[in-house]
Formats: sequence, structure tokens, C-alpha cells
Amino acid sequence: MMNKKTVFRVHPTVNFARFGTSEDYILSPETSAGLPQKGTAVTGGLPIKKGTENTPVTSKDLRDTQGNLKKQAARFRIFAYDADCTSTYPSGDGVEVTLGTKLPDGRVVKDLIWSCHLANKKAAAYNVVNNKGIEAYADGQVPQLRNPEVHGTIDSVYRLNRLMIDPGPRAIRAKPREFADFSRCSQASCVREKGKIEPLPDYPIRFPEDTNDELFEPSGPLDTLGQMLTDDKGRLLVLSASGNAVGQYDEYGVPIQMTGDLNNVGWFDSAADGPVKVTLVFEDDTTEEAFGAWVVCGDPAYAPQIRNVVSVWDDVYNMFVRDLDLQPDLYGEVPGEAEKRYNPHYKPNFTQDIQPVFIACNLQRWTANLPPLALEAHKSVVGISEDDDPNKTIMAALNFIRNPNADETNIGTPLMPLSLGAAGTSFLTVTKTQYFLMEQWSKGHFDKGEVCKLGAGEALDVASMANCLGGRYVPGIEVSYTIMEKDIYIQDWSTSGAGPFRIKHYPLTYDGLKKDTPYLSSGWIPLHDMTDGLQPGDVSKFMAIPWQTDYNSCSIHATAINTDGVNESNGAESTLYWSWPSQRPDAVYVAEEVYNNVLPKQQWSIRGPGTYAVNPASAATFQDPLQSVQDWDKIGIIIQGINVESDTQTYSPELYLEVQSQLTAPGDATDPVPGWPFNANPPKKKRGCPHK
Amino acid sequence: MKLEHHEWALEHLETHLQAAVDLELWTIPFYMSAMYSIKDRNSKAYQLIRTIINQEMLHLQCAANMANAYGYSPKISTPVYEGTYIPHLNFSLDPPESTAPYKPYTAEIGPLDELHINAMCLVEIPEFDTSLKNIALQTKIEEYGSIGAFYQALRIGASLLKKDIRGGVRQVNYFTSFYRNMPDMIVTDSGAKGFDQVSLLIDLITDQGEGQCKVDETIPKVFQNTADDIEPAGDHFTKFNQIKEEGGANGNLLPETFPTKPRGEYTEEDKQLEHILIEQFTQLTALLEGLFRGENPENFFPIMASVGGAIRNCWEHGVTPKFR
Repeated sequence: MMNKKTVFRVHPTVNFARFGTSEDYILSPETSAGLPQKGTAVTGGLPIKKGTENTPVTSKDLRDTQGNLKKQAARFRIFAYDADCTSTYPSGDGVEVTLGTKLPDGRVVKDLIWSCHLANKKAAAYNVVNNKGIEAYADGQVPQLRNPEVHGTIDSVYRLNRLMIDPGPRAIRAKPREFADFSRCSQASCVREKGKIEPLPDYPIRFPEDTNDELFEPSGPLDTLGQMLTDDKGRLLVLSASGNAVGQYDEYGVPIQMTGDLNNVGWFDSAADGPVKVTLVFEDDTTEEAFGAWVVCGDPAYAPQIRNVVSVWDDVYNMFVRDLDLQPDLYGEVPGEAEKRYNPHYKPNFTQDIQPVFIACNLQRWTANLPPLALEAHKSVVGISEDDDPNKTIMAALNFIRNPNADETNIGTPLMPLSLGAAGTSFLTVTKTQYFLMEQWSKGHFDKGEVCKLGAGEALDVASMANCLGGRYVPGIEVSYTIMEKDIYIQDWSTSGAGPFRIKHYPLTYDGLKKDTPYLSSGWIPLHDMTDGLQPGDVSKFMAIPWQTDYNSCSIHATAINTDGVNESNGAESTLYWSWPSQRPDAVYVAEEVYNNVLPKQQWSIRGPGTYAVNPASAATFQDPLQSVQDWDKIGIIIQGINVESDTQTYSPELYLEVQSQLTAPGDATDPVPGWPFNANPPKKKRGCPHK
Repeated sequence: MKLEHHEWALEHLETHLQAAVDLELWTIPFYMSAMYSIKDRNSKAYQLIRTIINQEMLHLQCAANMANAYGYSPKISTPVYEGTYIPHLNFSLDPPESTAPYKPYTAEIGPLDELHINAMCLVEIPEFDTSLKNIALQTKIEEYGSIGAFYQALRIGASLLKKDIRGGVRQVNYFTSFYRNMPDMIVTDSGAKGFDQVSLLIDLITDQGEGQCKVDETIPKVFQNTADDIEPAGDHFTKFNQIKEEGGANGNLLPETFPTKPRGEYTEEDKQLEHILIEQFTQLTALLEGLFRGENPENFFPIMASVGGAIRNCWEHGVTPKFR
């Protein structure tokens, strides 16, 4: 190990910090949602207690003593790899490097100089187009600008000065446990040669209050995008902002009303994203830079163990397999054939490749109001073991899986997943790679046994992305459809030493800074042959603004919301389906209402005053979008029963229950949760022409 | 043999209710096999048949609920699919001009082709005698001229014995939320009030498909599926006839189905798939009987769903499904 050239890589390649109103924090999970973990009944996906290596939180760790929701810090680690001419995936190796680590070549790590640059370009970017998705950028086109009343082109100084939030970069030393705040009032800094940190007093820091005399601040001022610090081993922790949003006042002195879910004019939020870099300083004062990573600061994880049937990991893995030659033995060129294809002799591993989908299927019941028959069926799905003959199971012939290779996105029941699909499609499909692997299993071509081929760093990449919403990026929870674009990644991952799944950093030198000129531009957009990397803010700008209104509204919908208002599904126009059931809980079981492990009636996750819906289509939401901006932190969290701490009872590990909600108390009247299928009120009839 | 009303006894009603269960059950594997033979699940034919199968399952539940309300738990036996025999339907009693367009037909399990869509149309062919003046109670089910007449007779017979209805006995209720306009799908009351519920279930069955009166082809709103039907107002006959007509002469335009191979060419794997289906369907019949006997078999729905997968699996391998 490490007797060849050593390269250093930061993992997870993409990591997620999550909002919280508390100053205190827990750590983002480093295990994959819902999956069994060795030696414990606690399944993966739970955040980690602060100050520990991997101790999962309990219900009492989620809020501070004042009841404020704790943030989740994204923890980054460095791994050393032997670099051959080419890398393969999975490499299966990699050794973590921390302060004091002695490498086989004798070098000892003296310090780690971490840097990060967060930005929020949402208000300066283009609209999210609900039913078009990424196609809104096709054929050289771009969507309408957000905040079009702010004059100028997308890259005009006038617009960027007023609409972009950019605190600039920050750099810290791990050894002295330095700390940096991405705030309006702290100084920017960056890393120069030999790991030297250089202050950037002229960096053009931009926050909304720079160009707005007064802002509507329902949850306090928006004056920071987060913080960075290190732990005792020199690993980086990136903390998000509180998640607050602020709005402009109109000419009458009234806060600008939020009129939609995705593109609210005059509003800013504190989401952010950007590159993470580290320079290793050795005791001989030599330095080496690692391949960096990316951090995204966004929505809380309200149901961290409820696995998405299609996660960000599934989508990114699918793209790397199909477009970037990740595993040629799985998908690649075939002699004599023009097109690449899946290898019919490839054998997936049941535990690693098949079972996660089955587990995800069964976990949906804890956040959605599934009917009893579906619960029985899902229980049967998750009960399938590697020793079962696939032909004898409920999944025989994949009879109930929507085929992504066929035109089946408009078929709802009885196909799975029965949740809403990507832009332009009624229902979700698994990825083509997920489907191929399941096909192989269905044919009996699969391996048994628990064979983890991943290295420790690679496992972090998987876990980080597997805990995020995939498939339905309309626009998404943590990231949008752009996460599946190969243009944003280091494409020569095999030969460059970077390894896969690494977002390419746009080169930022921080030279020639002028306080009155924005440093960042509008940045990368998809489908425009831009492959020179992403700037800070280039991931989160494709998300809704403010984030709360989209989270709030994306509970349940009729399928027509995806298909230009026309029902193209095989169901009734008014039938309602779940938007993001794993990541945005709809119907939940409240732990305090469970007795002797007998489940109570389900409750809406968002309930209580201000949530009563005349139309079932808007159930489980704050009826006034402003309330979503103010009360999002009061929503409860769904965690496994075994980790629910109660003075009066213990809960089965089979249950996943809502804890720590501040929206209602047990016994409060709330909107009832009907069993699925349920329907929206009929649409209003369109008016005819009165002159006819 | 015609029965006078005063001769009508509970045993006759039980015979009729068992016949209703038999007929509803017979349609399910027959229709499922036709549906799963279609390659393109997005085809209109596939989707229309799917909606009908769902309603046949509902009708089976209704027939069993009615039977249990009268204290009789129906038996569930694996149906027979041979020749042109469809249980309790004697097409020779129908006007020849009404059945001629749907012949020849077959009652044997097979893919969606002209013979099978003809059979499906015949099973659901409407009652052309709108007056129903001549409906009389019979001792043998085969003595009814049509399924419509059968259900009307069942209604008369059920009414005569309404005093024997006991509500809330072994009622199964899986479909309520798919029919938001329907008051209830179970018999909860006893006596005369219970009969109103029984009568409602008969209306549901006849209006959705069997015995639908030709003069009114639209299913009343109350009986329309509100969740997952592409044509909720269309009755079974109308839907099957639509598939037949869109299939054109000789069924040339019916959707593509999986090619089949002769039994002699079955591989060991093929035989295993055939065996799995028979085994699972046998298990399903036992579970169904238990379900209607008041048990709550935990694996009822998974096995029911597995049967669907097993049928599809057979077709994908060129194997014609078998159920016994």
C-alpha cells in the first residue's frame, strides 16, 4: 500500500449540511438510509452524535434544550490512495489521513488547510420550470430570469450585486482548530502556495441587506451562509446557515407576497453550496493538495432512515455507469457492436444491489398513507432473501416494477414506485441501471453473501448521496436534475487520480478583486457544452426560492402537475399521489400516540393551526406559504423506534415514528388522513366565451 | 325447473350465491392470462382489461359478502378452462343475432386473440330483455338465459329471505377507497336494511359488467371507479367490445402478445414456471376460501400478487399459463 505515487482525495465527494435553528449541531449520516448495519438493530441513515465517530443520534439529540432544531454538519475526511496509471471502481482501498498520520513514505501530516467557498445564486439565476426540468435549457434556450424586474442580463454587475449572495471563500488551519464564518461581517480568505492562508480584504462580499434598506425577516436576518471548523482529527465540518429566508418590501411597504412554490420574486434564502479543498502540510513543510469535494447546504432531513427508492446516488451511479465508463464489466462496449450495453453475464450482489430497493419499498409506509394491501405486498417484498427463487416471489418477472426502458411512466397502479415522476412524466421509474440489476436477479444471475467491495472513502460517497432524494427533481430537495449531468464532473476520473463522482471546481484564483465588482459570475448551466467546472452556488441555484415553499407544497399532487396540467396517467384526473414520500414525509405515526407498539392512526406531518385544507390536494401543508417560512423547523422527525427515547415505553425497531414535532400536542384536532387512493376536489370548470 | 316463491329456500339461495362466486372467480385467471400476454403494458387493451379484472375481484368480494350475510361462506375451487364451457352461462339461450359476432370463441386459457376476446365479450354480453318480466327462480343455475337474468333472480330470491340476513358477518372490504361515491361495499345491517345493502351490491355487479342493460351503457356515478380506471364509465362489455373492434377483422390489430411454444418444447425451467403458477394459484384459492370464511390470512395479497407475476413470467418464456 502507498509504495507508488500517493494521491489524496476528500470524501464524501458530495456532502450535505442541513439547516437548523439551533447553534448546536449533530453530524450528517455516514451510513445509507434504511440499510442494516452490522452488530446493531439500528438501520442506516441516522445522523451522528456530535463529537463521536459514528454513534447514531436518539430522539433527544435532535433539538437543543430550548427546542431549536439542531443543524447537521457535513463531515469531510481525507483518504490516501495508491495511484496507478488508471483507477478502477470500486477501488476497494484508501486509508484515512488525519493530523499526525504517518504515510508509508515517511511523511507525517503536520496540518491540514481546509478551504471552502459558499454562495447562493438562486435569486440571480433562471426560473425552475416545473414541467420541463432540464429540457428548459435544451437547444440553446434558457428559462426566464428570476427577479426580471432587476434590470440586466444574467451576468450583469447590476443584477449580481443585488441578487447574488456571496460571502467569498474562507480558509482555516486544522491544527489550531480554527473556525470561519461565511458571514457578511467576516473577512474572506483563501489558500495560496505552500498552504499559506491569505486574507482577501477586497473580496466583494454580497448579502441582500447591502442593496436593500429594509428586509422582511420573519426568522431573523440573512447575514451568513454557514460556518466551517475542524474536529480533533483535523476533519472538516461545514455547517449550514439557520435556513432562514428574507423578503423585500413592495412600494407600499408590504412584504412581497409569495405567489408560487418555486420562483418567488423578491425573496432570498440561506441555502448554499460550493467547493471544499484541502492542502496537506507535512512536517518537512512540503505540501500536497487533495482532490477536493463539494458541499451542499440545504433542507433538514425529516426522515433520515426512510430510504428513497431512487436516491441521488442511484442517479449519479447510473450516469457514471452509462456515460463515464465507471464499470465496463457492467456496461460498456461490445466488440462488433456500435452501442454500449449492459453485460448480460454481469452478476449483481443481492445485498448490495437488489435488497436496497426492496428495503426502500417497504419503508415508504412510515411517511405515506399507503393502503393495507400495499403494506402486505411491501412486507412480502422486503421479506425476499437471497436464498429465494426469484420466480416464486412477489417480484417474479418484475411484474410490478415500472420499466424505465419502456413507455410506462403514465402507468400508475399497480406498478411501483407509485410516486410522482420526473418533469414531464406522471410516475417515477427506477434508473436503467437499477432495473438491469434487478432483471439479472430476476433471471437468477446474481451473487449471494455480503461482499462490500467499496473502500472506506467510497462507502462515504455512496452513503452521502444515498440519503438524498433522487428521481423526481422538480426541482428536488437537496439537489436538482443537474446532479445527473456529466458536464459537472471530472470526466477523466480514471486517469486523473480524482476518482469518480467528483464535481469539477471552476478555477478561482481570487486575483484582481474589486469591492464594487462581483467576483463570481452566473456560472454553469446545463446543456450548453460548459465543462470547465462549477462555481460556488452552481448547484443550489437550480432549487426553489425560498426552499421552504417548495418543501411545503410538494406533499401530494395529481399527476397533471407534471404533464402540463393534462392527466396522462391511467388513473383518475383527481387521484392524488405522493411527491417525495421518503424525503418529505406526508403521513406519519406519532411516537407519543403509540402504545405497546400498537400503531395509532396516521397524522399528517404538517398539521395543526394553519394547515386545515379545504381540498385534499393541499393537505399536509401550511396553507399560507409564509407560515412555511416561519414554522418549517417545528415539523417532526421520523426515526426508528429503537432510537426513540421515552420515559414511559420502549419502541420496536420495526417501527419508524415521528418525534419532536412542535406543531401539535397529542389529542389536538387535526385533518384526518384518508387511506389511499384519495382524490382532489374536482377542477373548476373553465369559463366559456359569454358571447357565444 | 321453475320454483314458486314459496318454495324458495336458503339452500337455493346458497346455490345461487356459490354460482355467482364461481362465475366471478372463473373470469379472473381467464382475463389475467389475456392481459399478461400483451407485451406492451401501456397498450389500451392491457389497461382496459386491468380495470375489468380489478372489478371482477370486487365482484367476487361482493358475492362472498352477500353469501356470508346469509350465513353461507362460499367454497373456492380452481376453475376449469376447457373447450367452450363457461360456468353457468348457456349462450344458446341468448338471441342468436346477439351472440353471433362473438363466435367462434374458446374458454381455454390463452393469449389475447380473437377467440379469447370473443369469449370475454360473451361472458359480459348484456341482458337484451330489458323488461325482465320473465325472470323466474330456477333450481339450476344453467336454466337462466343470461347472467343478467341470474342476478335479477338472485335479487328476488335474496329479498324473499331478507329475514335471514345478519349484518357484519365475515365481511371483506378491500375496495372502498377506489369507489369514493359508493356508500358501502359490505353488509353491515340485518333484515330489511341489510337487504338494501345486498341489493346495492347486486346493482354494483350488474351495472359494472354482467347483466348490464343494453339501453343504458354508462355505469352510474355511484359505481364508477374513482381512482385508477382509464374509462370509469365504461362497462365490461363496452370495454371488451372496444378492444375487439379496434382489433379489426380477425383480430389483426390486437396488441402484440408474447409468442408461445408447444408443450413439447418446454424446457425444465418452463415446466418449473408452469408448476409455480399452479402451486401459487392453488394456494390462493385456499387463502380466498379462508378469507371469506372469516380468517385474516396474512399472506393473501402477496400470494394474489405473486400469481400475477407468475402468469407474466410464463408468457415471457413462451409458456401458456395453467392453473390446475
